Amino acid sequence: MTTPLLAVEDLSFRFRGHDQDVVQNLSFALGRNETLCIVGESGCGKSVTALALMGLLPSDAVRFGGGRVTFDGDSYGIEDAGRIASMRGDRMAMIFQEPMTSLNPAFRIGDQIAEAVERHRRCGTEAARARALEMLRRVGIPAPEQRLDEYPHQLSGGMRQRVMIAMALANDPEVLIADEPTTALDVTVQAQILDLIAELQTETGMGTIMITHDLGVVAEIATNVAVMYAGQVVEYGSVQAIFDDPQHPYTIGLMSSVPSLTGPHRRLSTVPGTVPSIGQMPPGCRFSSRCPFAAPICAERPPLAPIGGADHQVACHFAPLETMQERRA
Amino acid sequence: MSDVILRATGLRKHFRTGGGMFARQSTVRAVDGVTLDVRRGETFAIVGESGCGKSTLARLLMRLLEPTDGRIDFDGRDISDLKGRDLRDLRREMQFIFQDPFSSLNPRMSVGRLVAEPLETHHPQMGREERREEVARLLGIVGLRPEHADRYPHEFSGGQRQRIGIARALASRPRLVIGDEPVSALDVSVQAQVVNLLHDLKAEFDMTLVIIAHDLAVIRHMSDRVAVMYLGQIVETGTTDDIFAHPRHPYTMALLSAIPEPVHGRARTRLALSGETPSPANPPSGCRFHTRCPFAREDCAQRVPELRPAGPGGQHAACHYWEEIAAERPDAGTPPAHERKPQAAARFALYEAAIDRLNDRPETAVNAGANDMTQQEEDRR
Ligand SMILES: Nc1ncnc2c1ncn2[C@@H]1O[C@H](COP(=O)(O)OP(=O)(O)OP(=O)(O)O)[C@@H](O)[C@H]1O
Ligand SMILES: Nc1ncnc2c1ncn2[C@@H]1O[C@H](COP(=O)(O)OP(=O)(O)OP(=O)(O)O)[C@@H](O)[C@H]1O
Ligand code: SF4
Ligand code: SF4
Ligand SMILES: [Mg+2]
Ligand SMILES: [Mg+2]
Repeated sequence: MTTPLLAVEDLSFRFRGHDQDVVQNLSFALGRNETLCIVGESGCGKSVTALALMGLLPSDAVRFGGGRVTFDGDSYGIEDAGRIASMRGDRMAMIFQEPMTSLNPAFRIGDQIAEAVERHRRCGTEAARARALEMLRRVGIPAPEQRLDEYPHQLSGGMRQRVMIAMALANDPEVLIADEPTTALDVTVQAQILDLIAELQTETGMGTIMITHDLGVVAEIATNVAVMYAGQVVEYGSVQAIFDDPQHPYTIGLMSSVPSLTGPHRRLSTVPGTVPSIGQMPPGCRFSSRCPFAAPICAERPPLAPIGGADHQVACHFAPLETMQERRA
Repeated sequence: MSDVILRATGLRKHFRTGGGMFARQSTVRAVDGVTLDVRRGETFAIVGESGCGKSTLARLLMRLLEPTDGRIDFDGRDISDLKGRDLRDLRREMQFIFQDPFSSLNPRMSVGRLVAEPLETHHPQMGREERREEVARLLGIVGLRPEHADRYPHEFSGGQRQRIGIARALASRPRLVIGDEPVSALDVSVQAQVVNLLHDLKAEFDMTLVIIAHDLAVIRHMSDRVAVMYLGQIVETGTTDDIFAHPRHPYTMALLSAIPEPVHGRARTRLALSGETPSPANPPSGCRFHTRCPFAREDCAQRVPELRPAGPGGQHAACHYWEEIAAERPDAGTPPAHERKPQAAARFALYEAAIDRLNDRPETAVNAGANDMTQQEEDRR
């Protein structure tokens, strides 16, 4: 990768009233036409990371400990809300995890998309409406001419999700952040949406950050993968590296929990226990309370956090685990 | 004793909607002529996309909904018209696990009460002390601890709540358990814990399990036989192995081809479907799938296909042309197993061995998940 389109360095922040970071030392780099997938257990900080990048975390509720963003050569601090707001919806767009949070129930969907277009493009109403229609068609909504004049409640959940996607993509953003955009959808609709995002990427060079818990989706679309656990990236690498050479115990545990579509039936392996809450994080490695390989050093010293950009990095004292064999023997 | 424990014949459920001052009345044909056999001791899965009628079918089978038409036999006995006391006795034999571990438990009841309640209903002769012991035993079976009995549902994580729901379902010692998306709301790692639990319980209690799911990988993992539903009807049924190796109905093919596989660098050809699922209030004529079927022929819009044999292992498909289509698409089944790279395979083995070692130690993760505090619990400290 040459100059990345979007690079984030050492993003850390916490919610007020907490004495531990909810996201800690997170770094990654995203190139044009690339897809970075962020995976990890519920509550590990995927959505708040996305919201931070979009400048949408309530400034009175969060305290940033660090975070430099470089977007297309321009560098700014993550707390620079004004700067981020000027790019939001235009150069950077987001598809939210809950579709209803970003659709206004009181307005026709065509008007909502057209308004988003007009705000950033300064084009006429006619042109904006035409663009809205085009986008609805592209996300596979049948009879889009009629749908333009319908209200959100008249659409099925899957169609609403597609409207959201149409709205996010209407201004040809350079960076798209998609927070579980297909989780609520049926597999056949999901396939359609993923195809559409890929198509737009090749067309416009858009970089995509995809948050998902579906490792199948990751294998299909990712260029790079960040595996998060309890607010930290524990493994970062190319999609090949993550699937063919996973090294962090959490990555391996996560992958073995997924039932397979092929091969012999085997008992699923699990990650024992549940994530501790932010206030109860063990010192040292945050995974040490659940890691089957945890050794005394793990609870004392945190392993180094991966830095986005390099090929394959793992935050574990014992990665790539081969040494575990001798230790156990 | 016949090997069929549950049989549905021509089952229908039509909902009347609208008919107010403004809305035109319409009839939603949520379940529209379903015939199926569930065999004793098997895990039978029902799969299909959102709105195809899976939950309605499950509720009909449990007699939680009145069928519009059709008949249900449980253990050779017609249960379609059971009422009152007889229906309550039936509930002892057939239990339900709900999809949503958050809303299906009464928040004001302690876990102990939640599990004791079905015992009181179904085993009223049980003494207090005996009941208390039984509650503790049930909690242990699903991987919770006896002292959890005094806590309330909100103090537990999603996976733990689903375990409470399972303990409740097991309390009456049912012979058949129907789970409506019992693991869909759970995170993958928690999902794996609950899938393993259901698998163990089934063997231990000699139960028959009917599960509804939309995740085909979960279904492949858990079930012996599968029924695929589309718009209120079963379009294909067969053993799990047959359905995944050689699906015969174009809809099953499309479903299988759309699942992204967690394997890097293996491109598969997708069988794309056009358009939206039609409304069950106004299903298409002829074959209900014809508006989206990539193989639809001219007469598919007129002739209704019946389920007919589609393979030696009892596979059935409702498609006029499955023979021709199967010849056209010999590779419609799931691809051969993916081999992990040796270095990765070695690490997975290492991980599994380490987990097994943990599980062997009684005081640690025997009941994976059970020994961990939930967020709320910790926050209160
Ligand atoms: N406004 C807030 N104030 C305090 N804590 C918050 C706030 N928003 C989120 N959190 C906490 O931050 C953590 C990360 O939440 P986040 O929504 O990013 O998780 P996630 O990885 O997106 O999970 P999921 O997969 O369930 O969507 C959680 O523990 C959550 O409870
Ligand atoms: N009480 C009801 N009144 C009217 N229509 C209903 C009722 N219950 C279900 N339906 C309709 O019947 C159809 C089947 O619904 P059902 O809940 O059985 O689908 P499902 O396959 O379980 O879907 P999902 O995967 O989304 O849970 C849907 O079109 C639904 O809107
Ligand atoms: S540092 Fe220790 S506890 Fe953390 S993942 Fe590695 S082995 Fe496990
Ligand atoms: S009967 Fe016709 S429309 Fe229906 S599945 Fe078969 S080919 Fe497709
Ligand atoms: Mg989230
Ligand atoms: Mg349902």
